[in-house]
Parts: sequence; structure tokens; C-alpha cells
Amino acid sequence: VKRGEAMILFAVASYTFAISASAVDEIRSADALQSFTPSPRLRVPEVRHTLKRDGKTLFVVDANLHFRLLPSRITRVLLLRNVPIGIAVNETHRMTEVSAVYSLPRAFKGEERDWYRGVALIGEDVIPVVNPSAFLDEEQLQRLQLEIASERSTKGATA
Amino acid sequence: MTTQSSFVLFPLGDRRFALRAEDVSELALPGRLQEFPHTTALLSGVILRRGRIVPVCNIAPLLVGPEAKPGRFYLMAHTSAHRGEWTAIPVTGECELATCNAASPANYAPEYVTAVLARGDELIPVVDLAKLISGEVH
Repeated sequence: VKRGEAMILFAVASYTFAISASAVDEIRSADALQSFTPSPRLRVPEVRHTLKRDGKTLFVVDANLHFRLLPSRITRVLLLRNVPIGIAVNETHRMTEVSAVYSLPRAFKGEERDWYRGVALIGEDVIPVVNPSAFLDEEQLQRLQLEIASERSTKGATA
Repeated sequence: MTTQSSFVLFPLGDRRFALRAEDVSELALPGRLQEFPHTTALLSGVILRRGRIVPVCNIAPLLVGPEAKPGRFYLMAHTSAHRGEWTAIPVTGECELATCNAASPANYAPEYVTAVLARGDELIPVVDLAKLISGEVH
């Protein structure tokens, strides 16, 4: 149990999630997203968009795909701190302080053990607290960066 | 060989099953089921019960088939794998605490049936929740 933490609440499909405010650098509108189709060999089907920020390319994970949900409308992107990763979500609700993050019950044995750091109680609601490092791992990120670099060099060569 | 122990008999559809009484903490009215995405088979979400976050594990489709009716009550039980945690099992009616002789199950019984209780004409399988759930997961 970890006590007293600021969280950002956001929605994906019909579900509400929380993410530690300290893991998020900025929340942006999804208007500036650029379509991106990674090669299937990269094995990162959850990345459907990129975003430019300070001349750098950020890879945007579609939270619907990450959580194995049916598609829902994306309006906001949570930009994670210290990593070039964004999370495309339905909407962001509000910031709140949670008194405690509890471990996910051990009966949950699937991918959710990686997706969530635990669950928070907000009023009478049990809200999963996402694990920011589960969206893309270091290896996936490197493969995506190589793909982008390779696309750029191909375009440069043909220009 | 038979041994006398206490069991909680619970209905699922038209049949009854049993859990060892020491694995059951209470029978409760259904609380508000709260769902979030996950990939664990049988789990339908969590409920809040006495300040605890309790996973809800619907075993009815495994034991009585996909047409199982929704649960009217939750049986709060421990699985031997997670002794300190409760799991809420939806059951379709009231339960009975019984002290009776448990007989060994037939050779062809599923692995999660650890014994059988004879109550009149009725044979009631005693279920090991941990084996039942892990069998489905793996």
C-alpha cells in the first residue's frame, strides 16, 4: 500500500483509470496526432500515431488497443515524463489525490498484472492505477525509433 | 473411506456443490460489481466488502454450463493459493452449513472435485476452488 499520491483520472471506452500525476509531463489535444503504421515485424500494433514535440518524435499508444478494448474516440494524449511516449485516451477527467494504492488482488493473473500498479479507492469506486512503463518497453521503443530513422533516411535519399 | 467434516453447500442452477467450511467466511448480498479491463478467465470484476477489494470469480459456467443464471448471493471464500484474500463466488440461492461424511470422488471426476457428499439421493461434489480456477487459467 502506497499512501497519498496525486493522480490524473482518464477514460478509455467506458472505463476510468488513474495514472500518477508525476508520470505525466503534459496533456495535449489529439488534434496534432500524425498517423503512423508501424511495420508488423516491430510487434507494436498499439502504436497508431506519432506526435512531434520540440523536434522529437513521440510514439503514441492507443489505450483501447493496449487494454484490449473495442475502439473508442480519442480526444486527448497524455505525454509521459522522461520517455518519448504518449497515451491516447478518450478523455481526461480531473486530478485528485488518492489516499492509498492497493495491490491488485492476486486472483488477477493475466496481462493486467503488468498493466496496473494496483488499484485506488476513490469514494466507493475501485479505479485501476496504470503502470506507465507497461505501455512500451525499452526494446519496442528502440525498434520504433530505428523505423522512424530509417523512414527519414529513405525520404532523404529520394528527395 | 469417509471422513466427517463441515461443508458449505451452495446452489448453482439446478445443482449443488460444496466448499470446505473453513474456506468460507460469509454469504453476502451482491455488492456493486466494478469492472475494469483484464485478461484473467472467470473473473468478472471486483466488489468492495468490509473495506476489502474482493475479486468476483464466476465459476458457474465451468460447473453447470454457459446457461448458468446470474448469482443472487456472493459466497466469500478463500482459495488455498491465496489464503489471506477473499474471492466472491456468485451462487444462485441460499447456502447450507452441513457436517457430513465425505467420500472419495470417482476416478473419472475432474481434478478439482476433491470429495463427494451423499445427502439422501443427492451426490454433492466438493470443489477445490484453487484447482478449479487454475485449471481454467492454464
